[in-house]
Amino acid sequence: MTYHNLLFILAIFFAVWAVMARNLLTAAIMLALVSVTAAAILFDFNAPWAGVFELSVCAGLITVLFIAGVSLVRSYDERNPENRTVFHALPLALAIFAIAAWFYVPEFFGEIAGWKHMAEPGGHIGLALWDIRKPDLLGQIVILAAGVFMIKSVFPKKRPAAGEARTTK
Amino acid sequence: MNNFAIDWYFISLLVFVGLYAMLASRSIIRQLIGLEIVSKAAMLAIITAGALTSNLMLAQALIITMIVVEVVVVAAGLALLVKAHRISGSADIWKLDSLKG
Repeated sequence: MTYHNLLFILAIFFAVWAVMARNLLTAAIMLALVSVTAAAILFDFNAPWAGVFELSVCAGLITVLFIAGVSLVRSYDERNPENRTVFHALPLALAIFAIAAWFYVPEFFGEIAGWKHMAEPGGHIGLALWDIRKPDLLGQIVILAAGVFMIKSVFPKKRPAAGEARTTK
Repeated sequence: MNNFAIDWYFISLLVFVGLYAMLASRSIIRQLIGLEIVSKAAMLAIITAGALTSNLMLAQALIITMIVVEVVVVAAGLALLVKAHRISGSADIWKLDSLKG
């Protein structure tokens, strides 16, 4: 087994641990370890820029955000624990999926890998973002606008109550 | 067997774990953890495809964009969590309709 495959197996192991962890803090830390393993895979693919971003932003910033969120809802989670049976079934479900997928998935992806001649190398980021993807530029702008709208609707301006408004006039 | 096919096989297992987490749990935090796992799998799929087609630079550029989007998604999700926890005192995804204005 190569170092490369071992990293993928480690990522899956940490992901399963993150899902099965009873404590939300453990789950957040295991997610950070998935990010660290993903960064190691990126470095192994000779993609240092993406690896550094993954390590600093995903393993760092997102983990801090998660821990902040966990600290808020921790007491609620301890008071209202979820039914653990579904989570304990994950290794079994994953094993069944892994065995079933082994017969179809590598063969299917092996066929897809044969189409690599369709993606010609030598492009640069400007070409990809502005020339090839010009048709979906409008879609991207709409998605960004939807994000802004969502943030605005999550934190609406507090309206004065009807009675309150009457008394102030 | 093709090495890339094996990589994508492992990536499909990672996607399965993430989707399972999102289906099995009602906690907003666990839903976000599942989403993160799926997006990690997508990121690995992009870099694998980039390595296969010798387009590593493009793949890295896409991954950096994806990481930025991922941070925004997590921040927006956690903002929803804070708001839902303030209003209904719970972190249950089915109680998000308490945010309805």
